[in-house]
Amino acid sequence: MTDPRARIGVLFCLGVLVLCLDGALPLGVLAAATSLAAMLHPRADGWRLRFFGGVLLLAWSTALSQGLFWAEWPRTPLLVLSRDPSVVLCREGVVHGLVQSLRFVALTAAGLWVALSTAPDRLVVGLLALRVPFGVALMGATALRFVPLVGEELLAVREARARRGRPLWQRGPWAWMKLEVTLLRPVVARALRRARALAESLETRGFHPTAPRAVRDPLRFGWADAFGLALAVGVTSAAALARGAYVLYGAELYYSSGLRPLYAFVRTWM
Amino acid sequence: MIALSAAAYRYPGGSAIGPIDLTVAPGELVLLTGPTGCGKSTLLRLAAGILQRHGHGHGTGTVTVGGRDPGALVARDRVTMLGFVGQDPDDAVVAGSCAAELAFGMESAGFAPARIGARVAELLARLDLTAVAERSPFALSGGQRQRLVIGAALAAGAGALLLDEPLSQLDPEGARAVMTLLRALADGGVAVLCVEHRLEIAMPFATRTVLMDRGRVVADPLVGSAPLRALGLHGPAIEELRERTGADAWRARHTPLLAVQSMEYAIDTLIHSADVSFAWPRQPRCISDVSLQVRSGERVAVVGANGAGKSTLLGLVSGRLRPSAGRVIRAGRCVEVPQNPDLSLFNETVDAELAYGPEEARLSPAEVRARVAAGAAALSVADLLARPPQALSRGQRLRTAVAAALTCAPRLLVLDEPTSGQDRDQVDRMLAALSANLRGGAVLFASHDLDVVLRHATRVVVLDHGRVVGDGAPLDTLRAAEASGLPLPLPPLAAVCAALRLPYCDPATLAALVEPA
Repeated sequence: MTDPRARIGVLFCLGVLVLCLDGALPLGVLAAATSLAAMLHPRADGWRLRFFGGVLLLAWSTALSQGLFWAEWPRTPLLVLSRDPSVVLCREGVVHGLVQSLRFVALTAAGLWVALSTAPDRLVVGLLALRVPFGVALMGATALRFVPLVGEELLAVREARARRGRPLWQRGPWAWMKLEVTLLRPVVARALRRARALAESLETRGFHPTAPRAVRDPLRFGWADAFGLALAVGVTSAAALARGAYVLYGAELYYSSGLRPLYAFVRTWM
Repeated sequence: MIALSAAAYRYPGGSAIGPIDLTVAPGELVLLTGPTGCGKSTLLRLAAGILQRHGHGHGTGTVTVGGRDPGALVARDRVTMLGFVGQDPDDAVVAGSCAAELAFGMESAGFAPARIGARVAELLARLDLTAVAERSPFALSGGQRQRLVIGAALAAGAGALLLDEPLSQLDPEGARAVMTLLRALADGGVAVLCVEHRLEIAMPFATRTVLMDRGRVVADPLVGSAPLRALGLHGPAIEELRERTGADAWRARHTPLLAVQSMEYAIDTLIHSADVSFAWPRQPRCISDVSLQVRSGERVAVVGANGAGKSTLLGLVSGRLRPSAGRVIRAGRCVEVPQNPDLSLFNETVDAELAYGPEEARLSPAEVRARVAAGAAALSVADLLARPPQALSRGQRLRTAVAAALTCAPRLLVLDEPTSGQDRDQVDRMLAALSANLRGGAVLFASHDLDVVLRHATRVVVLDHGRVVGDGAPLDTLRAAEASGLPLPLPPLAAVCAALRLPYCDPATLAALVEPA
């Protein structure tokens, strides 16, 4: 797929799909697939391990916190950490936490893949073709471009501080947190300066957020784009319909004995 | 045609420029220079119509570009009437590829796609960027990126071009390439108004130079270098020498004692690196087998073209980067002031910024105050102590960052491009202050300004494609580098000093050492 419209369309479908899925297994498969796509992209070189570590940390911490603070029934104890006061890790809470985090990971990784594999200006053209106002499209693509830059600058500030001061951990937690917030100051100031310079550049190059624009290289929607998008729309629609039917059955609003295999499929696999 | 008639602008804070009368005709390349903070950038933004549209101050007088008020131009007319290039080309890039960057203005103006395509191809060829058309502008060298931004500003056929210090981050070769491009654009009928500090390189290309001070034009055209010197600025050194001696050719006087640079060498080695190499992820090596020693009392300059690996080498020396191979041994504390000093200023006030290092070292309050006072005095920021560092001017921010590094009492101070955006006197004062305050320490700095290097360095290290290709006494090393074909053209004064077998010095000192031939 080369057309950014198709990629944005697939991303949108994925957003709907993760809402239709409620099982840790299918969401896990989806999160693994999108994470793999993002991590295997050549531009992910250098932060692959960090991304993978972040995903694991997020999934583990969400599952653990939900498992500890799960207040609904049924509650199946997995691990009793303390009897008085009662601190129990519940299976249902862990699964719920895992589902929430996997939803987030699947969608974030897919967004990352779109951002990595699409040139910012093509993304703008794609969003324009989807009737997004130019100002909003440009703002989105520009923000995407500057996110890694801001990350690098934050690291540079931390490095500059480290050269002049003690290690961060050699102070109390409050002083540490205060210092971390302080370190944002130059990054914010730099971002404001950059925003001003960029605004001046756009201003003098005829930018207007709503004015019609010409496009140097118009988009071409090829057969691969059509196939990929059709597949995504088909799978998402089927999942949405299946989930819808199951919700109606669960709420005792509509039941059909002919749909029993579908109900069983949704309960087991979705 | 760019025309300002009795143009004035007053910021809400009170600072103001004008009234100013200035005309730049088609075919003219006019340099605008003056001390830091004299209002050059404000004048440029006034001419671009930016302040009229978005400024909160009050403007009077008349400003026209191509006969029209730039503040009243609609968006698509703006791009076809004038081009504007700000101080930092990195921040002016709006698109993801070079071709898209060039096309942006034409897309705004609603050109037909076929016309845009043809014009982009033509510009890429003219800017010598055809081979990198689809690459990200951030993958280009500094000189290439500056040429791209200039091309993008003019792509839609603007007849006027306004530039704010386009040479400040370029090596001498890149700077000459940009000036050659600007001259060619002017010769093609574009009116070019360019704010610039690096007059040695820029002036030979200019139609005329305009001098500003305290918000007003004080010389238009600038004749001779005396008005510059009166404001602490310097034009081409050879011109100044001619004016001072009244001659075009010189011979050395028989002077028993020449002006020899004082060198304070001690025996201890502060940095020892052996066969150090470095590569960024998925990139070939950018530093290869570099061995370097910096000794106490030295002022070592690292020079080389854009992309030669200067900043990377400084990062390896300071410990900001870890070598892929080899090792760096540091004897004592090493503090680096990065190319962008803003990222090392994180405290609320200049005073807190200077006190941070000593306080972290757990010195007594009295010692902290003593270090702050000494650092502030050395870098002329004593009157700024109560102000937030991020609200200062570019030069003041750099001096604050250097002062903050100095108060840490480092054995080695590493400076990446300390001359960027500074006028020569400021740089001279800063480097002299460092030499005086770093007793027993050393300074390692990277710079494109070979005049500064020749006057302040005790030793020069020449880098080419990540390898050290020269290391020794400044003038001899740089002459050898130039002779070997490296893009490091020496200042014209260096040739005079070398021919007369005199040490490199400023025109005033040299004038006392020579007599007309």
